[in-house]
Amino acid sequence: MFSRFFSRAGLFAAPFLALLIAGCSKADYTVRQSTLDPKGPVAQIQYDVFMDTVWLVVVLFALVGGLMVYAVIRFRSRPGDDTAPIIEEGHGNPLVEIGLITASIGALVFIAVPTLSAIWYTDDVPAESVPASKLSAWYPRLEAGKEVYAKPLEEQVLEIDVIGKQWWFRFEYPQLGLTNDAKHSVPNEMVIPRGKAVRINLRSEDVIHSFWIPKIAGKVDLMPGRKNHMWIQANEVGHYYGQCAEFCGDSHAYMLFRCEVVEPEEFAKWVQRQKSDAAPVAPNTKAEKGKELFGAKTCAMCHNISGHYGAGAFAPDLTHIASRKSLAGAWLDNRDPKAQLAKEQSTKNTEQSVEVDRATLKANLIKWIGSSGVSTGADGKPTKDVKPGNRMHYYKMFNVVSLTETHQSFTADELDCLAEYLLTLK
Amino acid sequence: MSHDTHHAPVASKLDLAPERSDLGLIRPDRTTGWRDWLTTVDHKKIGVLYGAFAMMYFLIGGVEALAIRTQLIRPDNDFVTARMYNQLFTMHGTTMIFLGVMPLSAAFFNFLVPLQIGARDVAFPRLNAFSLWTFVFGAFVLNASWLFEFGHLAGWFNSFDWHKALVYTDFAPANGWFSYAPLSGTFGQADASLQAPRFTGVGTDFWIIGIQVLGIASLAASFNFICTIINMRAKGMTMMRLPVFTWMTLVTSFLIILAFPAITVALIELMFDRQFGANFFNPSAGGQPVLWQHLFWIFGHPEVYILVLPAMGIVSEILPTFSGKALFGYPIIVFSGAVIGFLGFAVWSHHMFTTGLGPVPTAAFALLTMAIAVPTGVKIFNWIGTLWGGRIRFTPPMVLALGFIWMFMCGGFSGVMHSSAPADSQQQDSYFVIAHFHYVLLGGVLLGLMAGLYFWFPKIFGRMPNAPLAYIASGLVILGFNMAFGPMHYLGLAGMPRRTHTYHAGNGWETWNYVSTIGAYILGAGVFLAFMNLVWTAFKGKKCASDPWGGRTMEWSLPSPVPEYNFAQSPIIASRDAYFEDKHGGRRIGYENDGGNAGVHMPSQSWMPLLAGAGFLFIGLGMPMMSMHVPHAGWLVITGLTVLFVGIWLWALEGPGGYMLKTPVAPSSSGQPAPAATTSAH
Repeated sequence: MFSRFFSRAGLFAAPFLALLIAGCSKADYTVRQSTLDPKGPVAQIQYDVFMDTVWLVVVLFALVGGLMVYAVIRFRSRPGDDTAPIIEEGHGNPLVEIGLITASIGALVFIAVPTLSAIWYTDDVPAESVPASKLSAWYPRLEAGKEVYAKPLEEQVLEIDVIGKQWWFRFEYPQLGLTNDAKHSVPNEMVIPRGKAVRINLRSEDVIHSFWIPKIAGKVDLMPGRKNHMWIQANEVGHYYGQCAEFCGDSHAYMLFRCEVVEPEEFAKWVQRQKSDAAPVAPNTKAEKGKELFGAKTCAMCHNISGHYGAGAFAPDLTHIASRKSLAGAWLDNRDPKAQLAKEQSTKNTEQSVEVDRATLKANLIKWIGSSGVSTGADGKPTKDVKPGNRMHYYKMFNVVSLTETHQSFTADELDCLAEYLLTLK
Repeated sequence: MSHDTHHAPVASKLDLAPERSDLGLIRPDRTTGWRDWLTTVDHKKIGVLYGAFAMMYFLIGGVEALAIRTQLIRPDNDFVTARMYNQLFTMHGTTMIFLGVMPLSAAFFNFLVPLQIGARDVAFPRLNAFSLWTFVFGAFVLNASWLFEFGHLAGWFNSFDWHKALVYTDFAPANGWFSYAPLSGTFGQADASLQAPRFTGVGTDFWIIGIQVLGIASLAASFNFICTIINMRAKGMTMMRLPVFTWMTLVTSFLIILAFPAITVALIELMFDRQFGANFFNPSAGGQPVLWQHLFWIFGHPEVYILVLPAMGIVSEILPTFSGKALFGYPIIVFSGAVIGFLGFAVWSHHMFTTGLGPVPTAAFALLTMAIAVPTGVKIFNWIGTLWGGRIRFTPPMVLALGFIWMFMCGGFSGVMHSSAPADSQQQDSYFVIAHFHYVLLGGVLLGLMAGLYFWFPKIFGRMPNAPLAYIASGLVILGFNMAFGPMHYLGLAGMPRRTHTYHAGNGWETWNYVSTIGAYILGAGVFLAFMNLVWTAFKGKKCASDPWGGRTMEWSLPSPVPEYNFAQSPIIASRDAYFEDKHGGRRIGYENDGGNAGVHMPSQSWMPLLAGAGFLFIGLGMPMMSMHVPHAGWLVITGLTVLFVGIWLWALEGPGGYMLKTPVAPSSSGQPAPAATTSAH
């Protein structure tokens, strides 16, 4: 009887259990945006606290769930049961109740302590140097050989301003002169030196967005009208994937960004390159015609290209567009997607990156500019678009200037020239 | 003595002149057919109507969910557009919460509370009808946005001038059920017509006015239930003898009247921002978007308990019945319900851990959120205590109630994980959160409500649901549910954000999205089968006796279906679980010497709640049409306000009404019950 019940219950539970075990073993914990593969101290402490909650919950689940399964099996009605009704009021047992409440509170303290210490640890880079001995008392796990936890000092902190807009991120490095005002801002692809603490100042120019690079740090929102901040640090070189995590309108799913972590000397070179202006375009080439189109089609009113066009401040800076590994809010990848995927799969390392592929970049440019131009449908109907609702044609809302459609549409030949021009902007 | 023979089947109306109002209007009473359903003030019929509408919207919300899952079945899918996807998840959330779970809970409140406390109706029968019709019209306004959306997509509006003035042409709301400002609000400066530019179209206006109207319905109903439970209890039905479901109704009603004012204020502010150029949430004019989040979540978090507590009450009735044993720790279950309600107001900012609150508030809300796990855990312990030492019978409601505990426990545990703010900063707005609250609201609340439906359907319609079909449906629901939402835990931890209409291949999310979508289809089939079973039961199910499960509370002492006057004589209660103890020897129920030839005073029916409620239909359609610049739409709003006030005015003038109904009485059963030996002083 008992075994029959078990076999029946087992029959029911087996598929679930099999699915769960198969799932957990098949799952890849190192995928591009995995939160379970921390590569910096902030993500690390968040992961550690998360694992504390996992172990607590697994133990509690086994206890309470096991008790319930036992009760259901043990106290099921059987044919030979006493049929007299059980008439007594259920007052419960005070000792049992108080005991269980106390035990629950005790279990919660187990996660409350690491939670509190991690809240303060992740809040901001400390203003002054904290001796390691003092630090390890407050963050007990900092000792055990995990140098990733080591707290950086204030004067070593790199500041980056992150400005969120529908639907892309602008990065500025005020200490290094890479700002929008200085005509050298960095759209969608931030670069940080390995092992350096970075304070991120979060600003939004329209709706709420959220800054999230799962492998480096959990998210903090970009609130319009507020000055939020967070700090990050990456301890491994690589190409990291980030994404806006707060619903921000039509193309929220297309608001992604990248974070390239490089060695410090590499970073210095990158800064120098970002500060340089665009090189002159060779005369009598497609690129030169493209450059003229860039002005004639009013692209230059919003986009800045230092050295060529300096009026634009509103849209992504295109001075170094040909060196960027992604386009359109990091939705279109300018690397050869097959090569990248093959490399990730062969090395099992999602942070590896291949270089920009010229043909892919050109195809992306044509796709992106072309679709955005034609999608200002006269009938007002949404047309198939790389990024529906993007401001390349919704400029109207901001009363920048009233333009007619003809200013924005391109022939295939014009698109080709424009793409050739942009490809020169390394 | 059998309680079935106690009530003879026929009641007859005493011949009196029809009730006339001060204006000379004759009020309808005891009509039949569709007029009866439109004018009814009978809490049981109102309950059935609530339930029918709720189930309809459950199916609509379910279809929206399946469209969402279909879009996500593979990467870079284009089953729906980005905006349509945003509209689908907005309406799915809004529909399931406000038009599915809340009205289905209200159906149980309406049908059960008067029966469980030994009353003949709720305190304000016409207000009850007003709540129902206001809900119906509010729900229609919200869903009318789809009609406009489809009309727009079909190009019906293209020839109108007003259509050309629209910058954004989303007619169904695309702002999420949480509707965060400023995405739902305005930016920049208002122009001469007091309109500031907006991020979203008129869908948001439909959403604002729809939720506002639904809030009025919920508030009116809650005041009604509080008055009913406090004032209309039978003699001897002390607060600590109330069935747990009634207790949870009381707690839920208090949560509603305390939580809804916050969203009401927030919605009015947002409406003023959009319609009249106010700047509550407009950052470019100094407004504070974070204010919306505080106002929304101080409503939104208690709302979670508004959804969960009724299901907990239902499970607390079903477990003792099928364990053949009184609820373990009744006082502490009641008390923990109240503590959950109280603490529910102290944890709202855990929805805002990533908004930059600063470490001190983050820590405070993290600890409070952990604290709320304690009373929730207490309930689970006491449910297991109820099973312990009992004789558990497996029936469809019992299996679903056990499923409720199991799934709710999973959802509760992932909730504890969220309470740790640093861990939450990785989980917030990811699929992990979707998995968490679907385990609570679908695996928990929906299973609980389905258990309640199977449990009380024999009482409501006097017919038994088909048990094999119920088991098959429950099995499909539980299997499909776990398959759909279990993998989302992984997807969230693998970094997949919520509310994104598509994703690229290469992120490692493909397999589990595919599994999840297949699970969603199985779940949909299960829910559809379960609802079909219930509809079939209501009309064609096998007839059953008045107490088919061996019930414990007062509703089982009545015939099925319950006569319109409920109790031929008002009961006098001598203990908790009085009916169960009375059945098995002890005399715990007596009857007052009322009813019989002297008659029971019944409330007259009325058209006025329907009329007043209809005012909200015109207001609700008029406000968004004003936003669309439809000419003269303002007059529609003024018409609606007029209808509303005329309805209330006539309602006030028609007087209380009422008529006398002769009920059958068995004289031997009247008199005082013997106090139960096992009953202590409370």
